Amino acid sequence: MVALQRLIIPSKWADRISDGWLNIAVLFLILLPLVIGTGLVIKSLPLLEKVPLGAMLSSSDWSPQQGHFGFFAFIMGSVWVTLLSFVLSAPVCLLSAIYLTEYSPAWLTQAMYFVIDVLAGIPSVVYGVWGVLVVVPLLADYVAPALGLTTTGYCLLSGGIVLAIMAVPYMLNMLMEVLRSVPIELKEASLSLGATYWETIKWIVLRKGLTGIIAALSLGVSKALGETIAVLMVVGNISKVPSSVFDGAYPLPALIANNYGDMMSVPLYDSALMFAALILFVIILLFNSITNIFLYRIKEV
Amino acid sequence: MRIKSLLILFITGLFAAGLLSCGGKKGRNATISGAFALYPLGVKWTEQYKAVNPGLRFDVSAGGAGKGLTDVLAGAADVAMFSRQLTDAEKKKDIWVFAVAKDAVLPTFSRHNPDAALIRKKGLTEAQLKDVYLSGKNNISWGALLDTSGTHNVVVYTRSDAAGAADTWAAYFGGKQENIKGTGIYGDPGLAEAVGKDANGVGFNNVAYVYDITTGKKRPGIDVIPIDRNGNRQIDPGEDFYENADSILQAISDGRYPSPPARDLYFITKGKPTDPDIIGFLKWVLTDGQKYVKTAGYVPLTDAVIKEQLQKLQ
Repeated sequence: MVALQRLIIPSKWADRISDGWLNIAVLFLILLPLVIGTGLVIKSLPLLEKVPLGAMLSSSDWSPQQGHFGFFAFIMGSVWVTLLSFVLSAPVCLLSAIYLTEYSPAWLTQAMYFVIDVLAGIPSVVYGVWGVLVVVPLLADYVAPALGLTTTGYCLLSGGIVLAIMAVPYMLNMLMEVLRSVPIELKEASLSLGATYWETIKWIVLRKGLTGIIAALSLGVSKALGETIAVLMVVGNISKVPSSVFDGAYPLPALIANNYGDMMSVPLYDSALMFAALILFVIILLFNSITNIFLYRIKEV
Repeated sequence: MRIKSLLILFITGLFAAGLLSCGGKKGRNATISGAFALYPLGVKWTEQYKAVNPGLRFDVSAGGAGKGLTDVLAGAADVAMFSRQLTDAEKKKDIWVFAVAKDAVLPTFSRHNPDAALIRKKGLTEAQLKDVYLSGKNNISWGALLDTSGTHNVVVYTRSDAAGAADTWAAYFGGKQENIKGTGIYGDPGLAEAVGKDANGVGFNNVAYVYDITTGKKRPGIDVIPIDRNGNRQIDPGEDFYENADSILQAISDGRYPSPPARDLYFITKGKPTDPDIIGFLKWVLTDGQKYVKTAGYVPLTDAVIKEQLQKLQ
């Protein structure tokens, strides 16, 4: 076989061809976001031509069949639910990762990897059902009354809690890998200079792993931002800017999932859902760019 | 090596068998797609029709009314199941609409409501229902609705996914689904569950979800808010038909229950149907097929309506 190949294609050419293939593969991946973005823009154009962009982004008046397209409440819903899940999950994940990589016995770390795999494998609709059965009644019957408030339980906080739990396996797994990759020699050097174990973790391990930690946390945020079905089952889907964590909210992915399919035969509605997807796309693009710039700065220093 | 070649033989054999079973039958195919509300009945009809017409095979799928319409317009489906009114933009397309059955959307409240007995006795007027579901006020108390001193506020639940049921319920007050202000819950069963759990909750459901069609009784957790149509603040014998599935289906059929929220359910085709298979199926649905409607929890069409639909097929 090899002899045959040599006979037909000179190795110089074989090199060039395989080089070309690799380039095409990479080019394809680079173009993919561009193609998706362009498709969304083209599909959103009918709406963009009719309604000014500024009005759509700043208004929260949503009644497409009457021609009112205000996306502000949905954008805020997405932002709040993502932030909430980040605040709930990031500190827990970071502290657990430190414990599991630096302090815990080996069997516990091993068990935790198993738990992470299980958590990552559970389908999101199961998280949603669990949220409806456990988190929603818990907030409505116990937490809110204890604070002197009333809520249906279908609210921002339910969405944040469910999302936080869903983001844990991704964040924790990556954080553990990052912390484990810090060279042991660095730690030894620090300890031999008289630093305590905690000081070593704080000044050596966390500092050395900073870029990885930021990348892990931003992965968790990206995951939270785009998650759909579990959130829409517990978040209340009220198109109003939420004023407290016990108010219902309506994130962008939920808007698309709830109406896509059924509203495709209504022309501007179809376009509005595509525009919602475009907003989500741009938010993720901006977020990732900012993280990248930030990481680049850290590396430079 | 021998195992390998045996394995290859086995897989090739499987593949060939698969191909044969797909292409072997010289069957004709009809694709039906659309509203969840009609899906159970659609499945029932196609099963029964296959028994008398073994030559025709059906693919029935539910993905929402709008999805069905889009599929039909794109040529991906022969017939769409449709459960709401066409929008103005949709009406402009070359669409043929055939009413095939009726059902209704019923307002619901929680069995845990402390005023349950009074709600059953007094009901709510159309104006009160409109205020509750469409105004978006979250300070309407049960006391104000029922003339008692109760201070608990009504909590409205609605469907979060685009649904014919929500659209039809809003149409009762001259609105659309997006006008119903409340906490959005995904799917018919989810909505029933959420209302059942919240003592102050109100919502709405398709008849087939309010009543258990096999027993005819209301499902646990939820109850129906009777509509006080003449506004005398009590449910008269003529307005009292919510006891079981039979009584409500009868009331929808003879018009004692208002329409909307009673609604026609439709089969939709792109242009006038020309395929003899589809015409045959539609004719059967409107004649012999009607006897399966009631057992599936829907209301059969009146003779006059059936005649009108059949004329469209001539």
